Amino acid sequence: MAKILIPTPLRQYADKKDSLEAPGSTVGEVLAAATAQHPDLRKQIYTEEGKLRSFVNVYLNDEDIRYLDKDKTAVGANDTLSIVPSIAGGWAGERA
Amino acid sequence: MIEIELQPWQQMTAHAEATYPNECCGAMLGSTDENGKTVTVALALDNASTGSQRARYELRPEDLLKADREARSRKLELIGIYHSHPDCDAYFSETDLKNSCPWYSFVVLSVQRGRFDHANCWLPDAEQTHAEKEELSWPKS
Repeated sequence: MAKILIPTPLRQYADKKDSLEAPGSTVGEVLAAATAQHPDLRKQIYTEEGKLRSFVNVYLNDEDIRYLDKDKTAVGANDTLSIVPSIAGGWAGERA
Repeated sequence: MIEIELQPWQQMTAHAEATYPNECCGAMLGSTDENGKTVTVALALDNASTGSQRARYELRPEDLLKADREARSRKLELIGIYHSHPDCDAYFSETDLKNSCPWYSFVVLSVQRGRFDHANCWLPDAEQTHAEKEELSWPKS
């Protein structure tokens, strides 16, 4: 089964584990299986419409799945998925 | 409540001052218990914003992935992100909010004329519509 590394703040939604293992042959299947066991984790990662939240990136080992085959990217038993947020900002000239 | 220890605090403010007049950014590692969060390590990360960095910052997700691996290897937790606001208050801007993530504490360092001035910490919501202020403690000496 593939391994999913859980970011620290989300471990409270994953039985306090720092990683989970879940079955599946694609990224989508593995994440679906893992979050089916942990519905509160699912709410953190997916919208109510079932899409990954806008700030959520998924890496297969060292590769961003957006540049692979997205949620249809094939996953092997020794692969590791990481959940990594997009973060940016700045005051952007809004006020001095 | 989030408390930042002396060494990471000195690194964060030095990073913010050295990067002035541009914005800096980095990751905060530490631990969490029933009393709150304690930052024991600051990791300076690249500002990957391709436009002017005077009022924008962007973290590469792969850098954040490395920071998370660094935390795991040290038996620490990735608990927050910091960035600076050059010549601007340490508020959580619309740009900060629209590009935030609700999982982490966001420390904003105000740098005025090249010197650290003040800081605040923020906890954005999942909808990226609101950020609550989080009590922030740092060494005052």
